Amino acid sequence: MARALAALAALLSALCIASTAWAHATLVSSEPADGSVLAEPPKMVQLHFNEGVAPAVIGLIDAAGKTREIATRAVGQSVLIVLPDDLPQGTQIVSYRVVSQDGHPVAGSMVFSIGAVTGAAPPAKASPLAVLIWLARIGVYLGLFAGVGGAFFAAWIGQGPDGSMVGRIALAIGLVSAVASLGLQGLDLLNLPPAGLMTSAPWISALATSLGPALSIAIGAMAIAFCAWKSPGILIALVLTTSAMAGVGLSLAASGHAATASPQWLTKPSLFLHGIAVAYWIGALAPLAAMAYRRNDDLPRALRQFSAIAIPLVGLLVLSGLALSIVQLGSVSALIETSYGILLSIKLALVILLLALAVLNRFVATPAVVADYKNTRLLLRSVLAECVLVIGILAVVAGWRFTPPPRASIVPVVTPLSIHIHTDAAMFQVLVSPGKIGANDFVLQLMTGDAALLTAKEATLILSLPERGIEPMERRATLGPDGYWHVRGVALPQPGRWRMRIEALVTDFQKVTLEDELSVQ
Amino acid sequence: MSKLAPAVILLVAIATAPASAHITLEKRQAAVGSYYKAVFAVPHGCAGSATIKLRVQIPEGVIGIKPMPKPGWTLEMVKGKYATEYELHGSKLSEGVKEVVWSGGKLADDNFDEFVFSSYLTQSLKPDTTLYFPVVQECEQGVSRWIDVPAEGQAGHGEGGKTPAPGLKLIAKP
Repeated sequence: MARALAALAALLSALCIASTAWAHATLVSSEPADGSVLAEPPKMVQLHFNEGVAPAVIGLIDAAGKTREIATRAVGQSVLIVLPDDLPQGTQIVSYRVVSQDGHPVAGSMVFSIGAVTGAAPPAKASPLAVLIWLARIGVYLGLFAGVGGAFFAAWIGQGPDGSMVGRIALAIGLVSAVASLGLQGLDLLNLPPAGLMTSAPWISALATSLGPALSIAIGAMAIAFCAWKSPGILIALVLTTSAMAGVGLSLAASGHAATASPQWLTKPSLFLHGIAVAYWIGALAPLAAMAYRRNDDLPRALRQFSAIAIPLVGLLVLSGLALSIVQLGSVSALIETSYGILLSIKLALVILLLALAVLNRFVATPAVVADYKNTRLLLRSVLAECVLVIGILAVVAGWRFTPPPRASIVPVVTPLSIHIHTDAAMFQVLVSPGKIGANDFVLQLMTGDAALLTAKEATLILSLPERGIEPMERRATLGPDGYWHVRGVALPQPGRWRMRIEALVTDFQKVTLEDELSVQ
Repeated sequence: MSKLAPAVILLVAIATAPASAHITLEKRQAAVGSYYKAVFAVPHGCAGSATIKLRVQIPEGVIGIKPMPKPGWTLEMVKGKYATEYELHGSKLSEGVKEVVWSGGKLADDNFDEFVFSSYLTQSLKPDTTLYFPVVQECEQGVSRWIDVPAEGQAGHGEGGKTPAPGLKLIAKP
């Protein structure tokens, strides 16, 4: 064991050291030049290095956001990349990782545009992959809501095994779907065929997106709920199911269009509460149906307990849902004019039907059962109808993955992105306008840790997009008469979480480096 | 385990292979309170361009700098005040060499050369830390700044280690 640990430690430290050994092969020039705008699509790209290199990974992401097949050849100190003839107008990115003579990898990116600098819209997909992504998403929802919610109901309210079969199947579906979601997302990002799942690239790429933490939390929550079914004591089950429910809320708050909307103080807690309320409601359906079907004499107690909590929770559900809809839509007309709004309208219609059934349950079916526990026909029917509606709602919600919310197309135009990076050593304020995909102007305000002006000799902006495999691109900033550093016309051709590093040379021998993320849509 | 071992050895071998790509110190470990002959190896120019000037910053706590003259290169020593007073051979020093500059020569990209000075590592330096000598390499075209120092807490494999400053591991005087 000790030897295995020592070996692991050696391996990890070796990886650490190896990754920093940056090499001395550098890109001297390229044809077309980095950042250039061309009238006609070029036949090939030539990267010239200061010494002979071997290409390791060369990638091309075209202006439509698609990863393209390319042929590469190393000739002496250059790498030739033969481009496809059907490149779309706009900005293309060539990302390279080459091995220099001493065996060290060198990585970087260059961009060129045909016609004009553009930002690619996320590619519209209507492929079989999209259907799979949609189904996997529904599966994850089933696992989270029916599975985790079911376990919670069984531990806290049902106090019995009724509906455990449905709950466990939902958890199993959810776990498989969550893993599948991750892989499919990776395939979608890198535009790989299904066989690509056998390699690590799509998984790493998907984990780097916000879906990574969201699905990891979801998998954790479902695994905990699974354990809760097997837990020996009721106390342990109560603790496990409660933490699994918190996981449901966290998972939903970690990803998706709504989680990235601002104001974050509103959207994240709203999503968290929305998720927990939904799981509470949906989780109760299968156990209640099972109890009603078997005419369980404990049903009146369970029903009373369930509805005592359900009424305030439904209030929360509606409020948080309304808040999120308002943030996402921006205007009432968007309800019918955008595909996102149409999906929301359908969801709202289904939710109103569901609420009507809930009212029927609360005021007609529940009193009937409380009066006579064998009188469950009405309850059973309405709960089953609720189940059908719920599946419909989840299917609609899973469709949102493919439609950007209207706010995404409004907000970035209005305000430039502003990023504040603060460490002990320095404080950088970065303004990115317009702050969306396409050509962007960066303004860097460099200050010392106590907000005095930081006089720098040089400033460099370095951008990369790890989730799409885009290696760092360097842009030198120029000092403007306003005392700020400017980099104009930086192409950010792809949406995503870009990594931004700013290096300010303070003296000949000292530089200050700060890093942050830049979310571009 | 037995299957893993060769992989580990290979990775360690790759990781510990001399980083010929950077400007480095020939001898990377020295005791505080002793003389140290600093040999800076310059393996290449700036992205293919010939080296015409090399500037080495002397960190605080390193005194008694005596550069080795180099045929074809003009030697210059920039002096300044130390942060504190140091003692060398019984005399107190409050100022001395802060930067050594070799200029006027020409070192082609496909040649290799060494730049040398002798120095004294005072007792004020802490053993078990790494002392960095930031180097600015000026070329006919362009400049390479070997000045990246890992931020505290991530010594060894810091962020932005693209152009690391040559480092010297300090040990206690035996």
